Amino acid sequence: MKAIEVRNLSKTYSDLKAVDGISFDVVEGETFGLLGPNGAGKTTAIRMMLTLIKPTSGSAKVFGIDIARSPESVRQISGYVPQEVSVDGELTGYENVLMYARLHYIPRKERSRRIQEALEYMELADRKNDLVSTYSGGMMRRLEIAQTLVNRPKVLFLDEPSIGLDPSAKTTVWEYVVNLREEFGTTIIVTTHDMHEADTLCDGIAIMNRGKIVASGSPNELKGNVGGDVVSLVAHSADCTPILQKQGRVLSAKPDLGLYELVVAEGEKAIPVILDCLRENGIRVESVSLKKPTLDDVFLKYAGVRIEEGGTWRETRRLRRTFRRLG
Amino acid sequence: MLGSRYLSTMLTLAEFELRKLKHDFSQIGIRGVQPALWLLVFGETFANLRSIPTGAFSYIQFLTPGVLTQSVMFVAIFYGIMLVWERDLGLLNKLLSTPAPRSAIVLGKALSAGVRGIFQAVVIFALALLIHVPLNVGALELLGVVAVIVLGGMCFSCLSMSLVPIFKTRERMMGIGQAITMPLFFTSNAIYPISIMPPWLRVIATLNPLSYVVDAMRALLVTGDFQAIPLDIGVMLFATAIFASIASAFFRRILD
Repeated sequence: MKAIEVRNLSKTYSDLKAVDGISFDVVEGETFGLLGPNGAGKTTAIRMMLTLIKPTSGSAKVFGIDIARSPESVRQISGYVPQEVSVDGELTGYENVLMYARLHYIPRKERSRRIQEALEYMELADRKNDLVSTYSGGMMRRLEIAQTLVNRPKVLFLDEPSIGLDPSAKTTVWEYVVNLREEFGTTIIVTTHDMHEADTLCDGIAIMNRGKIVASGSPNELKGNVGGDVVSLVAHSADCTPILQKQGRVLSAKPDLGLYELVVAEGEKAIPVILDCLRENGIRVESVSLKKPTLDDVFLKYAGVRIEEGGTWRETRRLRRTFRRLG
Repeated sequence: MLGSRYLSTMLTLAEFELRKLKHDFSQIGIRGVQPALWLLVFGETFANLRSIPTGAFSYIQFLTPGVLTQSVMFVAIFYGIMLVWERDLGLLNKLLSTPAPRSAIVLGKALSAGVRGIFQAVVIFALALLIHVPLNVGALELLGVVAVIVLGGMCFSCLSMSLVPIFKTRERMMGIGQAITMPLFFTSNAIYPISIMPPWLRVIATLNPLSYVVDAMRALLVTGDFQAIPLDIGVMLFATAIFASIASAFFRRILD
């Protein structure tokens, strides 16, 4: 079953094409990432899928429900954690969850059990009666996920889930997200500009740049498109070039210095084979190292720039303001 | 089904507004300062001047319902800023991602403003009783006053929310709030009776929804003449319906 079907979705603001004819499918139970720099159109794309803003053209279906025809049904089965901190600091953790349980019309007799479960699952039960303004950034993010869990969403939209979190809080949030998929089979759509995050969480990725999808596939496929892993060797006893040419694409060979680099499909498997071949030819290898291509290399290949370079003034300003206010 | 969801959304939003107030009550006191000045300084001074004809009632009696209404209106008219603030924080995105109908969210927010208005009014009310302003405080009158406050708060917060899709930023909403509160206040019957106004101002005062809120409040608390109350309530409902429809229709633009 397809959880999400997006066809030629576009959003134009007076002079800017924020999203420019994107199409993709997400299979039920999959975690799908929209990866790109700030201002690439990721947030606009998920806001359209969530029926928060109207597409200029194109269509999208969430579990077969058309976003234009039945927006309220789409919202009933969706959960949303916006990029900005969306919990209310003036209410307690429990009250924040209760409010959303009520706004999702969860039957009264199920409500308190589900709220308790969600808070326990996100390990916030012991702090539930404290005002959210006393929570850490990581706890707020977890509370936001708890708010969506109460509704048992079929699809969960996470907009930059780990932005502004310190490394350990980030890892914790990732663990919860991975567990969500494994325990509840929730389909998850993540937007991120963090390569490592996309790599950790996602089964499928679409790389976005300037409103367009420039590449898509599984993280490994995408990295495979770079051409494979880079293996570096140091060996002085003889010229290895003829032997290495049979094993992969030689990137550079400097026999006088004993330095060689070649690109292979799967480095871990290729290294023993290469070493065996060289040994059979009487060449002793002094050292070997392996460099994996990163999604950053993928982005560089398709968009021509490094991902950190993007970002609009407005988004950056809004983001910083949010974190400053909640301190 | 839809009706109960509608009502449930409105009541939920209002209830959580109350809970927020409960966690931080100081704002009620701070917002009570300005109306208190109107009552104590302006009211007392003008009462001594005896320059405004207020019939069988003292000027301070005449003024109290006006200041009460004004304090409710001030809270409500700046409610749009709260909406902008919630949008900037991400709260509004989240709220709109629930299955709740847009118009129910608008009316729920409006009801929240009305509920806030009640607490604001309590401060002024207590102050008025403290300085011995004679007011009708029967159960029926007080119930009526609460209803008028809620309705008035809803009316002006809907007006404010209908302006957010146009002005969008907090700074502009602040400006527009200031630009309309004073004219609304001075072109109403809050601090002087319509009968002493020049003809052109009378026309404006008759079109100003605030006049009807003040009128209902004054009838309940001071004059005891309930004849015009159905008209007052009718105008408030009508104005609320218009502003709420505009706000709901363009609500999504707030996010753009």
